[in-house]
Amino acid sequence: MIEVKNLIKDFTLNKKQRKEMGDKYKNTKILRAVDDVSFKCQPGRIYGLLGPNGAGKTTTLRMIATMLKPTSGSITVAGYDSVSKGQKVRSQIGFMTGQTALYDRLTPTEMAKYIADLHGMDNKKFNERKEHLFNILDMNSFADRRIGRLSTGMKQKTSIARTIIHDPQVMVFDEPTSGLDVMTSRAIVDLIRSCKEEGKTVIFSTHRMGEVNQLCDDIAIIYKGKLFYNSSLDQFKSEMTKSTFEEEFIYRVGEE
Amino acid sequence: MKFLIIAKKEILDITRDKRTLLMMIAFPLLLMPVLIGTMMKITTSQAEKASEKEIKIAFIGQQYAPNLFNAFSNLDKLIVLDQIPMDSVESYIQSEYIDAAINIDSSYQLNINNNSQAKIDILYKGTDSFGTAKERIEMVLDQFERNIIEIRMNELSLKPNIVKAYNIEFNDVASNQEKFGKLAGGWLPYVFILFGFMGAMYPALDLGSGEKERGTLETILSSPASRLDIVLGKFVVIMSAAFLTAFLALAGILIGIQQISVIPPAFLTLVNEIFTVKTIALIMTLVLPVSAFFSAALLGLSIYAKSFKEAQSIVAPLNIVIIFPAVIGTLPGIELNMITSLIPILNVSLASKDIIAGIMNPIYMTEVYLSLFGFAALSLYWCVRSFNKESTIFRN
Repeated sequence: MIEVKNLIKDFTLNKKQRKEMGDKYKNTKILRAVDDVSFKCQPGRIYGLLGPNGAGKTTTLRMIATMLKPTSGSITVAGYDSVSKGQKVRSQIGFMTGQTALYDRLTPTEMAKYIADLHGMDNKKFNERKEHLFNILDMNSFADRRIGRLSTGMKQKTSIARTIIHDPQVMVFDEPTSGLDVMTSRAIVDLIRSCKEEGKTVIFSTHRMGEVNQLCDDIAIIYKGKLFYNSSLDQFKSEMTKSTFEEEFIYRVGEE
Repeated sequence: MKFLIIAKKEILDITRDKRTLLMMIAFPLLLMPVLIGTMMKITTSQAEKASEKEIKIAFIGQQYAPNLFNAFSNLDKLIVLDQIPMDSVESYIQSEYIDAAINIDSSYQLNINNNSQAKIDILYKGTDSFGTAKERIEMVLDQFERNIIEIRMNELSLKPNIVKAYNIEFNDVASNQEKFGKLAGGWLPYVFILFGFMGAMYPALDLGSGEKERGTLETILSSPASRLDIVLGKFVVIMSAAFLTAFLALAGILIGIQQISVIPPAFLTLVNEIFTVKTIALIMTLVLPVSAFFSAALLGLSIYAKSFKEAQSIVAPLNIVIIFPAVIGTLPGIELNMITSLIPILNVSLASKDIIAGIMNPIYMTEVYLSLFGFAALSLYWCVRSFNKESTIFRN
């Protein structure tokens, strides 16, 4: 479970950034990237964080994964506070972005072993888990080839294997399909679904409305750091006043 | 102990990178001997060429000093031309048609006979490589002058000692090791400091900004490894690379010297006497903290950069910053003292000079180690801080 309460994240802007961001930031040094956001993600359900680029999705997810510290508010992941028990939180999560995030000079086996070692898995457990994952992802034929020489699809599978090698209870996906073709996106979508089936807590950010409809149980709309909607997808659909998700989104954030 | 897992992975990763291996092992080990060998060969062959060279000189006024003219004419590898007019001599030397000219004054013999000074003008080109022409003319004239003085003294019934009141004997108490240390000791550290920096540079770029570029930084940041584990794991590997590269550069020079046939045997014996395991080990104790200093500083800068390219452009100018104190250390007169022993890099250069020369001042050496380990600790502290700073690690 992930519980986010009154989360705020401020970034201090330097002179150059203030200049780049226009007149609005001329007299302020602070950019509020996440503004009083609260939500809960339940185990066995997929929580979709929906919003355009720059809405605050990545910042929120990075705070959940303890990469960034909240300015105020709190995050609890699997019962652990993200600030005081950061290491415990990190041992419970699997984090994946749109980038495959792999080391070209390692093999898929070495990559998975590295992450498993960082999570303190013993060899027996690692071998079992690796065999299981490499079988279901059909990775055995390239398990010992350098990642740099693999196809995009093979790399994506390796990336999936390294994300879930330690069998995390909480999965954080930050726009995992952005920039991917249909075939490789499908592998990610399947992974997200299987995580749900295994009873994991899944939070996933996207700006693609179609993916939300396809995958999510619960959704939140985030825009300019603020949460505009937070409920189940069914509830959202029943409350829709516009014909498409895109139109409804624009209507909700008040920019019609 | 998660930093060891990170270090293990980084070692596996960089040892599979041909560019890093080339920079770290092949370059220092092979380049230095090749460079030294080529330089020695060129210098020796040039010196040989110069001594073998046939030089042409113009002799003007041979009728005033026929004996001198004959002495020059009888020399090997020297052609004396007596038909060149005085007003063309300068342009002939400029255009290197002739190497030098000797102009004898018409009152030459008169002055010699009167026990006065005879005037001899010599024209030569100072940019002439090795100054061979001037040297050879001087040799002949010196011999001639000595003969004339001897005759004059005999005529006056004087002993040669009358013009030599002192019998001076210079006794150098400096050992050959000391002389070698002061002379070449400054250049050796210059080489291994530079190689140490280069050895740290590429892994630091790859392990810092490379992680950002590949997107793998988020993977390790979201793992149970702490930021300190991540920094330490990377730092240990970069430092080892820097240390190894510096060591191999030193080894490359020493191995290279053994392989060069033109090196005089006496010099080779001296080098082998100086560079014992103890001397090398002592030098490496200086290289260790300086490698740590470079590694932490480079890793900190590399993680600050948004991309590999930006990291390269930040780090490349530092080569000059490193060279500067290393070169100062090679200058004569710059020695270890209370101040210079505190300046990093310069102190490595000066302390190595003393180690090679076999003269170590315990107070200055303590200061050197304190300064080096202090700077290494400071730069590591700064590097860890950078890793913990959100604005650095997520600067993009």
